[in-house]
Amino acid sequence: MRPNDRHYLPSHEWIKITGDTALIGITDFAVDELSSGNEGDLVYCDLPEVGRTLEDGETFGEIESVKAVADLNTPLAGEVVEINPAIEDHLEILSEDPWDRGWLIKIKLATKDTSKLLDAEGYEALLASQN
Amino acid sequence: MPRTWRLITTWGAPPAFNMGLDEALLERRDAPPTLRFYSWSPDTLSLGYFQRWADVPGTARAGAVVRRITGGGAIHHVNELTFSFSASADDPLYVGKVADSYCRVHKAIAAALAGLGVEATLLCDGAAASDVAGTGMCFHAGTPQDLVWGGRKGVGSAQRRTGGRVLHHGSIKLGTSPLEGDIATLREAAPGLDAGALAPRLLDAFREHLDLAFEVGVPTPEERERARELGARYVDPSFLRRR
Repeated sequence: MRPNDRHYLPSHEWIKITGDTALIGITDFAVDELSSGNEGDLVYCDLPEVGRTLEDGETFGEIESVKAVADLNTPLAGEVVEINPAIEDHLEILSEDPWDRGWLIKIKLATKDTSKLLDAEGYEALLASQN
Repeated sequence: MPRTWRLITTWGAPPAFNMGLDEALLERRDAPPTLRFYSWSPDTLSLGYFQRWADVPGTARAGAVVRRITGGGAIHHVNELTFSFSASADDPLYVGKVADSYCRVHKAIAAALAGLGVEATLLCDGAAASDVAGTGMCFHAGTPQDLVWGGRKGVGSAQRRTGGRVLHHGSIKLGTSPLEGDIATLREAAPGLDAGALAPRLLDAFREHLDLAFEVGVPTPEERERARELGARYVDPSFLRRR
């Protein structure tokens, strides 16, 4: 079971809300799908500038593995207040720990309405339906 | 029951149009799944989406240059058949890991090449004999999912995944390029082979191995217009040199 302290998008991003801010990352499934389990397969990650305002579902960055470029989408709207400074030079963190050390951006939330997002159970069901 | 895809063939199209149409097909959520066969006029070097201009010395010798929306290394589009698949990410072609989708496509291509007497296999482990450091060229950097024959890479591929859709770019080398050195080419086994003669062989293999049927089509007027709009970016200096 994936962590139940956060919410998910069908495109495999997670958001963990703490107070008025939230961390956003990608799931272990996304990492594995892109990298085939080889941590060296993730080669680039572009993250937004601090201060950028994001709408629900907006693409905030891009990640490239050896074989694919994929968008990074925000589950909720907000303003980017911090990016994980370690990620762009150490993409292996995403393979090692996508849930904690592998967070990508922190946003100041414009909304806390998670009604359109998946919880952990819903995300697991989505993955099960795709296999 | 095979899935029916649209087939669009555009030989000798301009670089901006080629890239613009692929993006137009990727972004149009209600577009039918589409296979494109195309070639380039003039010969064009395409950079991978994330590549740094300075990391590809071949840009100084290439006439036309574009930056692709897909990742991977640079490709010199000369003496080759280029193809693209654009479809929903839940199409059976794409389900599962990215690597799995490569294997499906490459196994079908290998079957087509076998008909030409070319024994193409997945590189799997180790390096390809065509690997060259420092050029930034796709065909000089083998990965496990790549198709090789004679130990050298002969098919290059890359994907873009966005908005629940996938674009898969592929390049099959018919002959050599001055920027790509000692790579595998089909004319080693089939002298004189051109893209037009290879295309029907690929279609037969895609029908059989990917369970597809094809309806010959053309871009809609809206897709053509969108391709023109989107295409301008691919040759814009600020996009070409953005990294």
